[in-house]
Amino acid sequence: MGNKQTIFTAQQLDAYQENPFRQRIAEVFSEDGEGNMTLDDFLDMFSALSEMAPKDLKAYYAFKIYDFNNDDYICKADLEKTLNKLTRNELSADESRMVCEKVIDEADLDNDGRLSLEDFQHMIVRAPDFLSTFHIRI
Amino acid sequence: MSAVSEPLAITRPLHSSRRHKSARKTSRRIYSPYQDQQPGQSDEEDKEDERVDSNDPEEMFQNIQIQKEIIANIRTRPWPMRHKLKALKQAREIVLKYEGRLTRTRGYQAAGADLLKKLSRLLYNIVVLFIPWEMRIKKIESHFGSGVASYFIFLRWLFGINIVLTIMTGAFIVLPELLAGAPFGTTRSKTIPKEHLDSAQDLDTIWSLGGYLQYSVLFYGYYGRVRKIGSAGYRLPLAYFLVGMAVFAYSFIILLRKMAKNSRLSLASASNENYTFCWRVFCAWDYLIGNPEAAESKGAAIVNNIREAIVEEQEKKKDTSLAVLVSLRILANILVLLSLAGSIYIIYFVVDRSQKLEQEKPELTLWEKNEVSVVVSLITMIAPSAFELVAQLEMYHPRTSLRFQLARVLVLYLGNLYSLIIALLDKVNSMSSAVPGAVGNWSDSSSFQATIALPEEDSLATVAPEIPESPSSTVGVALQLNKSAPPVVLNQTALYEYNMRSQQDQCWETYVGQEMLKLSIIDMIFTVASILLIDFIRGLFVRYLSDCWCWDLESKFPEYGEFKIAENVLHLIYNQGMIWMGAFFSPCLPAFNVLKLIGLMYLRSWAVLTCNVPHQQVFRASRSNNFYLAMLLFMLFLCMLPTIFAIVRYRPSQHCGPFSGQEKIYDIISETIASDFPLWFSKVMSYATSPVVVLPALLLLFMLIYYLQAIARSLKFTNNQLRMQLQTERTEDKKKVFQLAAARLQGSESDKKVEQESDITSQESSIRSSSPRRNGSIANFESPARRGNSICTITQSASRLNVGRPGGAARSPSISDPQKHRIEQIPTRHPGYLGGTTGCRSKSYHHVAYNPCGRYTENVHSDPLFRKSVWPGHPDSLGLATAQSFCGRRSHTTRYVIVNEHEAHRKLLRSSARIPRHYRPGDLGDVVELYPRSVKKFAPRGPHRAHQPHLSEEEEEEEEEGAQSSRRGSLGHSCRPRSLLDICQPAPTSAHFYIGDKVDSQLSIAQDEPYEMLGDEGRKVDWEDTASHSLSQTNIPGVPSRHCEPQVKQKTKHKVAPSLTESDSASVASSSDPQNSSTDQYIQVIHSKEKYLKPSTKLTKKKSKASIDFNMSGSNELVCSNV
Repeated sequence: MGNKQTIFTAQQLDAYQENPFRQRIAEVFSEDGEGNMTLDDFLDMFSALSEMAPKDLKAYYAFKIYDFNNDDYICKADLEKTLNKLTRNELSADESRMVCEKVIDEADLDNDGRLSLEDFQHMIVRAPDFLSTFHIRI
Repeated sequence: MSAVSEPLAITRPLHSSRRHKSARKTSRRIYSPYQDQQPGQSDEEDKEDERVDSNDPEEMFQNIQIQKEIIANIRTRPWPMRHKLKALKQAREIVLKYEGRLTRTRGYQAAGADLLKKLSRLLYNIVVLFIPWEMRIKKIESHFGSGVASYFIFLRWLFGINIVLTIMTGAFIVLPELLAGAPFGTTRSKTIPKEHLDSAQDLDTIWSLGGYLQYSVLFYGYYGRVRKIGSAGYRLPLAYFLVGMAVFAYSFIILLRKMAKNSRLSLASASNENYTFCWRVFCAWDYLIGNPEAAESKGAAIVNNIREAIVEEQEKKKDTSLAVLVSLRILANILVLLSLAGSIYIIYFVVDRSQKLEQEKPELTLWEKNEVSVVVSLITMIAPSAFELVAQLEMYHPRTSLRFQLARVLVLYLGNLYSLIIALLDKVNSMSSAVPGAVGNWSDSSSFQATIALPEEDSLATVAPEIPESPSSTVGVALQLNKSAPPVVLNQTALYEYNMRSQQDQCWETYVGQEMLKLSIIDMIFTVASILLIDFIRGLFVRYLSDCWCWDLESKFPEYGEFKIAENVLHLIYNQGMIWMGAFFSPCLPAFNVLKLIGLMYLRSWAVLTCNVPHQQVFRASRSNNFYLAMLLFMLFLCMLPTIFAIVRYRPSQHCGPFSGQEKIYDIISETIASDFPLWFSKVMSYATSPVVVLPALLLLFMLIYYLQAIARSLKFTNNQLRMQLQTERTEDKKKVFQLAAARLQGSESDKKVEQESDITSQESSIRSSSPRRNGSIANFESPARRGNSICTITQSASRLNVGRPGGAARSPSISDPQKHRIEQIPTRHPGYLGGTTGCRSKSYHHVAYNPCGRYTENVHSDPLFRKSVWPGHPDSLGLATAQSFCGRRSHTTRYVIVNEHEAHRKLLRSSARIPRHYRPGDLGDVVELYPRSVKKFAPRGPHRAHQPHLSEEEEEEEEEGAQSSRRGSLGHSCRPRSLLDICQPAPTSAHFYIGDKVDSQLSIAQDEPYEMLGDEGRKVDWEDTASHSLSQTNIPGVPSRHCEPQVKQKTKHKVAPSLTESDSASVASSSDPQNSSTDQYIQVIHSKEKYLKPSTKLTKKKSKASIDFNMSGSNELVCSNV
């Protein structure tokens, strides 16, 4: 691909959607990890978030999105970040801590105190509306 | 791809380095399902070069297949686009190249398939264009999420059903009647009475569906009773009846099919697994939402949802307000019941009143004409809001209150429809009884007219035969009179005309149809009005006046109208129920409903996009949900009942409609069969409908149903069992893995304990470690293939724990927990030990006693971890190995372990470091790197490590040397991870070097006799610092490890440090750290101890006992120091 590649910045994505994870999505799909996307990255994003994408692929990228510190595990800090983004910091510290504990308690199959990709996939593919909600349109 | 990946496995490592250039790419490796394929892919790129030359057609064909598979699956792989494109291009090239070489036709086939695919895609795109409102719904979906969109999808689906119904009624009833039936004005049932002719075009008449509308194809009464119409002899009455039934049949079939499909779709998610919190967090956000307001309300909904879950979790029961709450709820339910009863009464009253008014007044006002439907619509509008208010009183959980609300609204709608239809049918009865009286009055005026009126009276009376007042109401008479009536009609007085009118009004089917249509229209008007007023005007008001108002309109009182999905769906269902109920009496009702739904679609979507915000209480009913459909089915069934009842119970009107003159509506079937079919057919039918056939058929049906249900039940049962099996399998697997991990950690912990607490505890831990380990080893043994995996996971877990350790806060809470576990474990273990000796018990008690010490001292770090690691393993050990065989089997089992481990290690040793990637490239990443190091450096040092822990184990009273050896092995294991724990950050490396140790120990043990020699060697090494170490060892447990450091360090350091430096750069770093170095020293210390004790334990029981004593003393010392 020797073409000229335009860069799709995170700010543009910002303007596009009201998604609390938009920044994160841009980071996950961009090659530089900063949210600046080349055309390829952009295509990647939409192929993963399209309606046609298989469940496993979606689950994989969902995992990446929720894994804020890129350590291939969703740990408590990641969860708290996710929660805060979702709820716009409306939950008290106690509440969010409890939710995080419960989440890990429910999905952590190997008791390591954090969610690996397997744990996450196992949990997410059973969610009834994951497929219908985890996609975007232009 | 399995066939492919295997040969590729060999070449894979070569490309591994190049593959993972960027961090992002490496992270992708964890995507396990596709892992094998990714390396495979890159290999294929290279392999193609190799294969260019191969001319073996078989191979070529396979290659092509592989490439094709890649092309087909490329979309499902999580590679970056560039990679995908490259792979795709290459695969295509290869396919093209070789396929042509293979056969020409194949190439053409491929090209054809390609073309076909493109065409089908184009076709699909075109089809999408024709799906009504697809774009609109997508737009809504992308603004408001899938919940709101589901309403519109449901609406569209209903629209589709109504289209089919319209086509059915239109094509088979309305069109034939219009084309071939008697034209308007030719028969009495098709002419407007003279007196009404003047007002027939008035707006209010039309509005109330009278006048021209009443005498049109809209209603039942218009259709002729002629058996065959037109030149083709179309049997309209029969068609009318059959279509009326087909409407219900079609609705049922389509509904059930849809439900079955949906349930199949949602099968996967129907499991009872509990991920409430997970789903609420990870699936909460609807990525489609693009509208800021929708996002806001979605955010609020998520917060609500999570709070709700928290509350549920906590299950806070407020005892204080319980009485109040109960009374409030009772009150609320009473209120709801009252309002339901009130609504039913009002409807009944209104119908009654309208009937009276009709009798008393010749001319009715607009209000009086539409009273009934307006009242019904008003109730359906207002009552749900009232219910909502009442529900606030109840203070239920939001979700339960929503359910209550839905149930109540559904009951209300049903009650409305039912009370309406019952009142109407009742009115039909009473009307027919009232009219004769009126006729009687009139007939008094003139005798001539009276004679004419009399037959009318009779005929009217026959409409409702059950009324006793009618003097001579026999069917035969009525029919005769009817026949004689038409000639008389032509020249009659106004009085007679009036009678005629009332007679024609007796067409109760038309009347019911009129009422239903009226209701539908009024309902539509009210819906539009409510959308405009409640949503639009309010939205305008809120938006533009909020600036100059004294409070914030947008967030406080009026707010924006919410789009209540559940209520709206219910309303749709109610609407459809009306259609089903009235379709038989008004064949054009479905057509009207189609128009109504179209209007509703546009209006609603406009309203949603402009002035609504989604309901905060999100109602989860995605496309795959059967909730709407179940309600619709319920409604359909209940709406079919009155129609069927009317068809079966009531006699059709005598002067109008296709069934006039018949006793019952369904007589048309038997009549048709009798007259129009050949004789044999009617005979067959008469046989078929005789009880002799019907009863067995029914019986058969019941049996079939029962049988199918039984099958379904058994399938469900097996399904459940399989699921359970799956679950247990999974948990077992996890447990095993965890056990292995635990064993390692535990071992390390136990070592630590040796240093920190006392010999006894360490011994315990080692024992424990041996037991879980055994299980793990067994698992390995059973399935050698899995060995690699298990190993990886062990290391994973180990590293994981290390990561967890640094956080001090996280550690402390676990203390209390693990202790419990320990206590539990002790009793469970007893059975096993009882057979052997009592010494075990004392040991265990010691252990309990020492726990506190561990807690108080700084050993906290190690303690919780140790316990943690212990307990998960334990249950399994119990499960796998019976408790009784605990002692006896241990030796064997441990030996197995060793062998297994050994094998694994050997593998590792033999193969290059990368080989493990074959098992799990992604996961193993760090592990793999670690192994080689450890292997290299620590192999020589292994033996004595293995021996060290013996000290603790001596207490066990197992006589056999084998047992000892096994113990030793277990200790070796335990030693291994120890460093891992101690060195927080470079944990993985440390883990490895222990593994390396283990290898040696295993080796030693694997050869049963030789091991002693090895052990001796180890001892030799250790001999140097025996005495001093024994001393230091006693000190260590009581005093925090750091205090000990200085003492021990002096002696050991020279020894330890060099070895470490040799072994690992990471470990070197750790050794520089004071604490870490201290731990290393401890290890040394242990060695010495072990050495010290070993000689004693090795040969005889007595010696071991002595060692116990020694241990006891040690422990005592320990206690003292701690205190």
